[in-house]
Amino acid sequence: MAYLELIDIEKKYGDFSLSLSLSADEGEFVSLIGPSGSGKSTLLSLIAGLEMPDSGRIMLAGEDITGKRIQERNIGMVFQDFTLFPSMDVGRNIQFGMKERNRKKRRDLEEKLLALVGLEGYGRRDVTSLSGGEAQRVQLARAIASEPSVLLLDEPLSALDAPMRKHLRAVIRSIHDSLGITMIYVTHDTEEAFAISDTIAIIHEGTTAGKKAAESLYRNPDSLFTAFFTGEGTAIPASAVLGEGVEGTLFFRPENVSLTEQPLDPDEYPNHIIFNGAEIISAEFTGEAYMLGLDWQGCQILARTTVKPRRRKASAMVLKAAALML
Amino acid sequence: MGRKVPGSYGLRALPAIILMAALFLVPAAFVFSTALRDNAAPLLATIRDGRTYSVLLFTLWQAFLSALASTAIALPFAAFFANYSFPLRKAVLALAALSFTMPTILTVLGFVIWYGNNGYLNSMLKAVFGLAGPVRILYSFKAIILAHTYLNFPIAFLLITSAWQSSASIEEKASYMLGKGRLRTFISVTLPSIWGSISSSFSMIFLFCFSSFMIVMVLGGHPRYYMLETEIYRRVYIDADIPSAAGLAVFTSVVTSALLALASWGRKEKKAHRSRRELRKARGPALAMAIIMVLLILCFLLPPTLSIIARSLISKSGDFSIGPWKKALEAGSGAIATSFAIAAIAALLASSMASSISLYAAKSGSRLLPLLSSLPLAAGSVTIGLGLLAASTALDLAPALRPLVVLLSHTIIVLPFSVRTVMPGAMKIPERLPAAAAVLGAPERKIISKVEKPLLRPYRKRAFCFAFALSLGEVNATMMISLGRITTLPVLIYDMINHYDYQGAAALGTVLLLEALAVFTIAEWGGKDHGIS
Repeated sequence: MAYLELIDIEKKYGDFSLSLSLSADEGEFVSLIGPSGSGKSTLLSLIAGLEMPDSGRIMLAGEDITGKRIQERNIGMVFQDFTLFPSMDVGRNIQFGMKERNRKKRRDLEEKLLALVGLEGYGRRDVTSLSGGEAQRVQLARAIASEPSVLLLDEPLSALDAPMRKHLRAVIRSIHDSLGITMIYVTHDTEEAFAISDTIAIIHEGTTAGKKAAESLYRNPDSLFTAFFTGEGTAIPASAVLGEGVEGTLFFRPENVSLTEQPLDPDEYPNHIIFNGAEIISAEFTGEAYMLGLDWQGCQILARTTVKPRRRKASAMVLKAAALML
Repeated sequence: MGRKVPGSYGLRALPAIILMAALFLVPAAFVFSTALRDNAAPLLATIRDGRTYSVLLFTLWQAFLSALASTAIALPFAAFFANYSFPLRKAVLALAALSFTMPTILTVLGFVIWYGNNGYLNSMLKAVFGLAGPVRILYSFKAIILAHTYLNFPIAFLLITSAWQSSASIEEKASYMLGKGRLRTFISVTLPSIWGSISSSFSMIFLFCFSSFMIVMVLGGHPRYYMLETEIYRRVYIDADIPSAAGLAVFTSVVTSALLALASWGRKEKKAHRSRRELRKARGPALAMAIIMVLLILCFLLPPTLSIIARSLISKSGDFSIGPWKKALEAGSGAIATSFAIAAIAALLASSMASSISLYAAKSGSRLLPLLSSLPLAAGSVTIGLGLLAASTALDLAPALRPLVVLLSHTIIVLPFSVRTVMPGAMKIPERLPAAAAVLGAPERKIISKVEKPLLRPYRKRAFCFAFALSLGEVNATMMISLGRITTLPVLIYDMINHYDYQGAAALGTVLLLEALAVFTIAEWGGKDHGIS
């Protein structure tokens, strides 16, 4: 039995409806990714008790917490916005939700948590003087201080710049690993989710097909939406490659495409799909490679190559095992 | 639309709502029942009386002229102050802000001492130009308009300056880049962004002047210049005709409510500006203009106030003397203490009530509660005073309890202003903040006391100071209720003005001025806004 279970949860707002089931094991780091308005934050609000589902149950450690008040759920949350209490300094913010009553122990814990998030000596600082990254770290420390059973993080890094995001996601992951706390992390940044999570669930139009490990989600997406949401790729009608009458769409990633300037003989490469006579219509330098856009019989193909092509015509091949039929 | 609000908020607001309802409904009920007795004869008589409409028309006309003068004069000053930085700019803005806490009686006193027939201005004109007689300014229609402009010009000046400064100049620059000239840019870009502040200044000043009392009583000086509020007072204290006064009070309340509704109709805030306007340093002609503008404002605002202080130290014969100070302080010590105590308690009650009401209204998204809290404003202080007078008489209240009635009248009169001061603070508390506290396991009472109330503190402090200053200067209801038995500081000053004891009035006026100044200083400085205001 999973530690946190969302069973047949339904929530309707006007035209939008959320309808899904999801679970997380104890100590698991689950990321929820999906486009804006897909229902990720709503899902966190339902788990936290900030909102109530229309139907369904939320189970935590075998206990039904669906009808429980926010205060009784013992669920921590780090919000996307600045939610530090401006009337309190950093230390008092962290101590706010502590269960420990002893003053000395509270102070010790405060210092420990500040060290954990890399803000030693910040205890007496005014929270309004903190930078965005510091404020989010204090939010994190404050949430952990209340010793929650599950920690929800609602796009905590979305307002920060790229280097700070990278740094803080490492901080979050190391806190997870050292405390073993179950974390549900919402983000719309796929790279962030891949880097930080044990498993990922894609939320799309209020529903999900369940969670998977990052690698599996990337390599074996179960739908075109998932395939394109988790990375770049090529989708072409299967009939264009495999012959008339074959239904479905063939999908492959740009790194699975090999290029050559010479035409390729399909008989020599029986395990590959061959695209001869493709025209290079775009070439973007991405830093570590070139992302090429190819036109093959009216179909667009994306290919990644470390060498800048010299000619406009090229042949491409993809290992059949790397191409998915979706 | 209403939102689901945790019970604690409603529970905390309930005593304040009950007290507010009682404090308003009791006097209102007495006024209405008196006006509607004998098949509504007093009210019908008021409606049929031609004088009612001549007084109403005069009241509307003077309020319109006063609002127009205040706003129109403020406009060029606001335009300059919103665009240039120069020495004394902040000091002049602070001086204008000070007038918010200036009791009306001080304006009256200052005007009598400065603009009076034997006032300082006339003495100066006589000495410089050798005029035979005084230039008659007071006790006329123009005196009423001048005093109203004096009192309200700073309001328009500050509101328009603030709105103008908040409107980003980048939009104007974009207009210039598109080839538009200064006039076209002003009409198409600048004016729409400050129009809200101009119209709201106008309507606010119009409403203030519509219910003006003390200025008309003293500086009008002729029954021809009676307005609705002074007419109610006249009917009570000169005609001794309370039913007729109640009839007019109900009529006045209906008109004021309609005006309030009209003033708030269609008011909406546009906020698309991303940054405040950068002030240009005034140099050359702009600096010369700055000096002229500062001098004009100082020459308009300061003399009446400074003349109160000067007159408190100079006797009728022109000699320096502090004797009348001692006399005035001896005579006025009771009034000073009474005023202080009433103002402190009324301000405490009003700001606490405003805090609970605003928090609940902001949480629930209620528009009804702020509207209900504005009702005393619509009724007017004279009507509330009349209602409480009628209630005290009907209940045969012991004279010892009259100060309590005065205190309650002050509380309900200042409550609308307190709610209006605290409400923006309550609206600014981010919804996520209490949610974050709740997720951390804090019960509602802890969320309110530790998270939300501290954020309201600067607003409560401002509301307290504003309410204190308003109560300190309140005379309308006090004069109605007190029957000459309770003397507050402004009532005593009013009495002294009537008895031509200007030095005594000026001495007590200086005390009142210092109190207002202290309250203003506390309201403006000290305390921390926690970044939400």
